[in-house]
Amino acid sequence: MLDMQGISKIYRTDLIETHALRQFSLRVEAGDFVAVTGPSGSGKTTFMNIAGLLEDFDTGRYQLDGTDVSGLSDAVRSRLRNERIGFIFQSFNLIPELDIFDNVDVPLRYRGFSRRDRAERIASALDLVGLRSRMHHLPAQLSGGQQQRAAIARALAGDPGLLLADEPTGNVDSLMARQIMDLLEEINEMGTTIVLVTHDLELARRARRNVHIVDGQVSDFWSLEPPAPGLHAGLVPAMMAPA
Amino acid sequence: MNWNLRPILVAIWRSPTGALLVALQVALALAVLVNAAGIVQQRVQKVGRPNGMDTPNQFVVAVSGFTREFDYTAMLATDLAWLRGLPGVVAASVTSAVPLLDSGSSAGIRNAPGLKAGRQANIFEMDEQGLAALGVRLVAGRAFSAEEILPPAQGNQALPQILLTRALARVLFPDGDALGRQVYDPLDRPITVTGIIEHMHGNWVDWDKLDHVAIVPRVPEGPQALYLVRTRAGERDALMRRVEEHMATSDPTRLLLWVRSMSSIERRAYLADRNLAIFLTAVTAALLLVAALGIFGLATYNVAARTRQIGTRRALGARRGDIVRHFLLESSLVTTAGATAGVALALAAGYWLSVTWQLPRPGLLHLSTGVAAVWIIGLLAAWQPARRAAAVPPAVATRTV
Amino acid sequence: MLGYYLRLAMSSLRRSPGLTALMIAAVALGIAVCVTSLTVYQGLSGNPIPWKNDLLHAVTIDNWDPQFPARERHPDQPPTQLAWRDAVALLESDIPVRSVVMFKTAGVLATGTAGARPQRALTRVTSADFFAMFDVPFRFGAGWTAAADQGPEPVIVLASAMNERLFGGANSVGRTLRWNDMEFRVVGVLDEWRPLPKFYDLNNGALQEPEEAYIPWGWGLAAELPSAGSWNCWKPEPLASFRDFVQSECVWLQVWVELADAGARQRMQSLLDTYARDQQRAGRLPRPLNNRLTPVDRWLADNDVVGSDDRVLVGLAFAFLAVCLLNTVGLLLARFQRGAVTTGVRRALGASRRQICLQHLTEAGLVCAAGAALGLALAGLLLWGLRLLYATQDGTRDGIQALAHVAPGSITTALALAVLATLVAGLYPSWRIGRSAPAACLQGRPMGFRHTGRRFVP
Repeated sequence: MLDMQGISKIYRTDLIETHALRQFSLRVEAGDFVAVTGPSGSGKTTFMNIAGLLEDFDTGRYQLDGTDVSGLSDAVRSRLRNERIGFIFQSFNLIPELDIFDNVDVPLRYRGFSRRDRAERIASALDLVGLRSRMHHLPAQLSGGQQQRAAIARALAGDPGLLLADEPTGNVDSLMARQIMDLLEEINEMGTTIVLVTHDLELARRARRNVHIVDGQVSDFWSLEPPAPGLHAGLVPAMMAPA
Repeated sequence: MNWNLRPILVAIWRSPTGALLVALQVALALAVLVNAAGIVQQRVQKVGRPNGMDTPNQFVVAVSGFTREFDYTAMLATDLAWLRGLPGVVAASVTSAVPLLDSGSSAGIRNAPGLKAGRQANIFEMDEQGLAALGVRLVAGRAFSAEEILPPAQGNQALPQILLTRALARVLFPDGDALGRQVYDPLDRPITVTGIIEHMHGNWVDWDKLDHVAIVPRVPEGPQALYLVRTRAGERDALMRRVEEHMATSDPTRLLLWVRSMSSIERRAYLADRNLAIFLTAVTAALLLVAALGIFGLATYNVAARTRQIGTRRALGARRGDIVRHFLLESSLVTTAGATAGVALALAAGYWLSVTWQLPRPGLLHLSTGVAAVWIIGLLAAWQPARRAAAVPPAVATRTV
Repeated sequence: MLGYYLRLAMSSLRRSPGLTALMIAAVALGIAVCVTSLTVYQGLSGNPIPWKNDLLHAVTIDNWDPQFPARERHPDQPPTQLAWRDAVALLESDIPVRSVVMFKTAGVLATGTAGARPQRALTRVTSADFFAMFDVPFRFGAGWTAAADQGPEPVIVLASAMNERLFGGANSVGRTLRWNDMEFRVVGVLDEWRPLPKFYDLNNGALQEPEEAYIPWGWGLAAELPSAGSWNCWKPEPLASFRDFVQSECVWLQVWVELADAGARQRMQSLLDTYARDQQRAGRLPRPLNNRLTPVDRWLADNDVVGSDDRVLVGLAFAFLAVCLLNTVGLLLARFQRGAVTTGVRRALGASRRQICLQHLTEAGLVCAAGAALGLALAGLLLWGLRLLYATQDGTRDGIQALAHVAPGSITTALALAVLATLVAGLYPSWRIGRSAPAACLQGRPMGFRHTGRRFVP
């Protein structure tokens, strides 16, 4: 699903160079659930940005789902993000002026689905996170946990193979955090590959594999069990047919 | 005082777009301001220049005969006698043209016989009350007497005498006194200069020889006649009404065309110049306002974007005054950069305007006043955002955003 | 997607109404000033008879002083009018489809009805082709025939305003009236007709009203009518009588010809040149051969219908628009920057640069469209103000007043300026926000800030 080999990323200013990732290599199989941990400044966020095609890297090779992404145009990268990757952020990043329905609608709009398709996908994604009744609320009218669940619905509505979660429980209380982790596990069991970035080792332990980054390199990893075999099954396979 | 410019320059260097946009606005505004000020000043001077006449107390009557029975000479005699007899009328003369009303004639006057080219002069035919009706001052010589006035005649008829404005006399006789000298008409017949008029404007306000006027003692041709009437101070309007009523009905063989005050004729003559000045002033003022809004907007944005930084500075001991100074300095730097570019742009535009359309070039005074103006406007526009920055409490630094 | 972008733009604009109002106001001000000055400029520089531009030609012949050119400002050009004998000689040619010789004179019109005051009427003395040649519209009747010019017959055509004053707008064809105390019969009444600029006779101002009455050309000589327009003489010669004047080198007549095609144009030009050479052999026309056939647009340019002041105003207007747009660019940048996190989210969710750019360009376009609409209304107000500025107390009219109205041209101008404004003010900020790195956007620092914003393109 995700295969990084020898990735390096350097931020330069006029005075100093910061090596955010050095010779970073990581392979995530389809259906896996990987937690990436590390102290702040270790390169977690840079890894996340590169994995999500939000940022370029300087050297190395990155294959997403078998596609070599270096040198791809912005349009193709955007399309890959749109179709194959779902994002969950620590601060939810729901668009405040759009209601929940419209928020979930955003990636579907860029995908060019028909109005009916979009409505069906939004409804089933919101069903999954239990927010269907709140679809016409604005984000500010929801609790933190509900907002994050809405964000998860938005990440899943396009039916991506890979879900990237950056501290998804950072801004919610511990009870809600556990519920969100339950939800992520459920999603993973349905076949979606998940990469979770967190500094919370407690949460990280619930993933199948853990990767620890220090100074831009993988320093340690352990695995709970071998990755589940098979291709990702898809969340709503019936809707995969082109509109 | 802390005049440390480095952090400000670094901040501008880091995100130069906003500053650049505002500097460009200032540059354009300054270039327009300076050149518009030059043109406005030129037009204001043009509109306000003295015409040599008693403008507030003059009016003009235009009549035209149109029937077979119409007797031009008799009409003139009757009308002028009636006008001159009106209480309050100082003088009245028939005239071939009205100063500042752009229909008249010009001819070349030669200062020696046999010359191919003369000096162009605006020619007025008037009678013995002409000078008094114009209200112009004679600096040498004498006015015409009633016996000297020639009857109307078509075309080039020999003239015994002529009055010149001083400006015209100077170009004809640069060496000295023109009084008593001879000038020559196109057919080389001599005419004696019998008087010099201090100053008077002719017909065409856009002509560079507007004050090159000559008056000859002759009744203009009919069947149209123009009467120039000068009244005692304050009696013009009442007399105009009276004259209009009388002339409209007094003689069925002719038509009263119009009665206009010299003030309205003057206003009409300079209408385009006055309006250009008004329009330029209004648009330039609006332009400065928009540029000021740009400066205000940039400063406001900078303050909002740096609230945390301001709080940190305050927490580290910066006084309110320091914060205000920081933002005013930053805004001034942008204004100064814009003004520098603006001066270059103003000079280039001014040069181009003067070469292409003979418009006035901005002088040093215009430039320096313009720079000072945009500078002050810049400070005023940045004042409120800077004050708001100073009001940011130090506690902001420790708050997470 | 456009509908989606429009919805996003609307909601974005509604969110900060103050900033939105400021941007719209800036664009509106700039467009209003531009539309105002361009409306007047278009009126001045417009060709009132474009459909006949290539057919109609002003005829000029250089008969001026050997030492001095006729026109100080354009020393290369012949006088703008013709002397009587040249005009009459050229009128005999049958090369043109139509030809016109004319001048204006002062007239007084009276209906003879008791109590009705005589009316002053500037009158065009013209040959018969005038009406057909310049496509002059008639409300009643028609012009006269070439034979009427020869007579001359006492027939007259009235302008619609004069017919209104004399006959209350009724069909006056066939009625008689007195023109300068001579009996004339009305043969035609014009419809509203006011070509601006008054291209066929620019001598007393390009924005003059057309004359109020028209009489056959033959009356000029028969009634010894003096020109009430401009006339210029250079040669010292006795001008004791009307006959002297007619035989002189003084120029005072406007001559136009309608030429069917390039061939006719060539034949007419060589006729002019042959005529001029003959005249030179006879001792006239001391200057080098300079005979011209000038089409309408060129004629307007040669006669400086658009003055330098008008051009300065247009330049000023565009400088003003530029400042307003620079302002709008700044405001749009600030607004887009404020929405950077949302943009970052959209990018993360799969929006391409192009889609983000288009979304923001739509917002800019919406601002500029609103600005253009408001600007057009404002321009209407400004033009009204301009008419007030040009109002005179003495009842004379200034042609600028006729031009200072919102015209179809103004609306086109406003539309074009709105597109221009969108492109100028919207393209850069939209491009910038589209180009900014999505990761940086998510952290709310999309533009500038070099320490992280620099991208490393592989």
